[in-house]
Amino acid sequence: MKKILLLLVAASLFWAGPVFSSDTIRIGLMCPLTGSWASEGQDMRRIVELLADEINEQGGILGKTVEVVVADDGGDPRTAATAAQRLVQRDVVGVIGTYGSSITEASQNIYAATGTLQIANGSTSVRLSEKGLPYFFRTCPRDDEQGRVAVETMLADGHDKIAILHDSTTYARGLADEARALIDASAAEVVFFDALTPGEQDYTTILTQIRGNNPDVVFFTGYYPEAGMLLRQKLEMGLDTPFIGGDANNNPDLVKIAGARAGAGFRFLSPPVPGDLPSPEAKAFLDAYNEAYGQAPGSIWAVLAGDGFRVLAKAIEETGSTDTDTIADYLKNGLSEFPGLTGTIDFDDKGDRIGDVYRVYEVDDEGRFVLQM
Amino acid sequence: MEQFFTQLTNGLAVGGIYALIALGYTMVYGILKLINFAHGDLFTIGAYLGLTLLASLALTDTVGAVAGLLVLAVMVMGLVGVIGILLDRAAYKPLRTSPRLSAVVSALGASIVFSNTIMLVYGPSPRVYPQGLLPTHVLDVFGLSIPVMRLVILTTSLVLMVGLYIFIQKTRTGTAIRAAAIDQDAARLMGINVDRVIMLVFFIGPALGGAAGLMVGLHYGQINFTMGWLYGLKAFTAAILGGIGNIPGAMVGGLLLGVIESMGAAYISNAWKDAIAFFVLILILIVRPTGLLGERVAEKI
Repeated sequence: MKKILLLLVAASLFWAGPVFSSDTIRIGLMCPLTGSWASEGQDMRRIVELLADEINEQGGILGKTVEVVVADDGGDPRTAATAAQRLVQRDVVGVIGTYGSSITEASQNIYAATGTLQIANGSTSVRLSEKGLPYFFRTCPRDDEQGRVAVETMLADGHDKIAILHDSTTYARGLADEARALIDASAAEVVFFDALTPGEQDYTTILTQIRGNNPDVVFFTGYYPEAGMLLRQKLEMGLDTPFIGGDANNNPDLVKIAGARAGAGFRFLSPPVPGDLPSPEAKAFLDAYNEAYGQAPGSIWAVLAGDGFRVLAKAIEETGSTDTDTIADYLKNGLSEFPGLTGTIDFDDKGDRIGDVYRVYEVDDEGRFVLQM
Repeated sequence: MEQFFTQLTNGLAVGGIYALIALGYTMVYGILKLINFAHGDLFTIGAYLGLTLLASLALTDTVGAVAGLLVLAVMVMGLVGVIGILLDRAAYKPLRTSPRLSAVVSALGASIVFSNTIMLVYGPSPRVYPQGLLPTHVLDVFGLSIPVMRLVILTTSLVLMVGLYIFIQKTRTGTAIRAAAIDQDAARLMGINVDRVIMLVFFIGPALGGAAGLMVGLHYGQINFTMGWLYGLKAFTAAILGGIGNIPGAMVGGLLLGVIESMGAAYISNAWKDAIAFFVLILILIVRPTGLLGERVAEKI
């Protein structure tokens, strides 16, 4: 009898959650809190929680408190699938995230099947929004845009023997293919196209090979930890071919890993870094972040997660609804020139962000990222 | 041809690290028939402890670069060795009489605990060793430019491995380790303190892994809390390749795996590098199921 009573108490406690939660609006955040992108993910959480606190202090959305439900995707497709399922079970209105394209891809169908809105923040792979999923959005630009800017930059510098190096992830491979197609269509040629294994320490084998092919420039489409190692080992080997990187290199850890001497002169493409953000919203946000955490946010991708959260909050507020179809329709057709932290935000019919192009950054002698144009 | 030899030295340097880590797998397997999956994380701990000690003690300033690094290496090896013993006490010793699968699951658990502890203590971002401690000269050997540090790494690995080999083959304690590996009960009847032998193995293996971690940190500069996984996997492969449970086998396996990887990457495809390495592993296991130098048939795990 006692046991049954205990069970009943336990069950009532368990079910109490959803009953009280009618006063709250749950927004999911799927981000890499562990794994090799953990610094991105932890920053995403800090930013989204900071913004949620701000909204709650001002009375919440539609008079309800916003609760951020965080799930760790580990920067790994399998973990992401579990994380997505957990978020869906918690009845979230929508999910912000995530960073890596292959991770987002692993979760996309789970959200689509359960009718959950997803706003990715760092997943720039083209094919994510070409699947016709009605509830998929992203606040970051796409790789075809990035590939175009990269190739234009390299051609404008007069390089005509180009090496392309990726790391076999959805994102890096996609960007590498985009760039290759554009270079093939131009007068320049691709003299080297291959992938490294992310997470290793020693890339001298691949650098020796690149030296053998004698390119004018190397376009590395992978992520910052590997880029840092490549730059460092390139200096040690005495290889002076310039490197240009994709937008996943926009992280201050790049220079920490490479060292200022090896990092100097490295260029990469990116939406503007947090410090170069122009709008008053961005200034206010950067100040608030600084006050809360005593430093500036690390990379633009985490700030884009903040923008995902802000457009979702705006959509719920404007439509007065938490219905996925209503919100998705508002984001595609209703939202216009929303003042985001990273510039104005509009979405097209595929859920891609319109406008706001890539910039070129160069690392200076002291390891700072300097906007080039 | 020049490229061939450059790639050979690249492969040997990486292989030397694999070999050092592989020794830890193979020694523990030899004694307990247990794959210590937490070994890769002990390697990571070595790298992080090295960084902490280097930054907090400033040894290289007080006693000079070479002596400072030697003292550092001894401290890191000692500490990681002690952690290895504690790992055995906490995760494996209570399961000594349980089915072997339980210990393997415990090892996987220990691995997760270690890597997440490192993340919580040191943070998720990659950490970087101070630069400028090590010589960055490039030697010119027969027209090949070889960074001095590559040679230092390879030499250090070889010295540690040869030292271990002599210790195992020529000393009384080494003989006791070998005896315990062959038959624990018989060794016990001969008056060998098997528990102490196991403790010693759990000291030496992790100490070598820790030394490898320190070398990776010093040479490559960047360390992160997930790096033990990939190195551990490769070193485990190297141990199998050479014949698990066999010490010279782990050395040969490690060096060979490093060279196969870099040659496969250089002459076939970088993207397929790991696939090529594992393909060679399968081929070798088909021809010699016990590995290159293995004597006993590796039991299923």
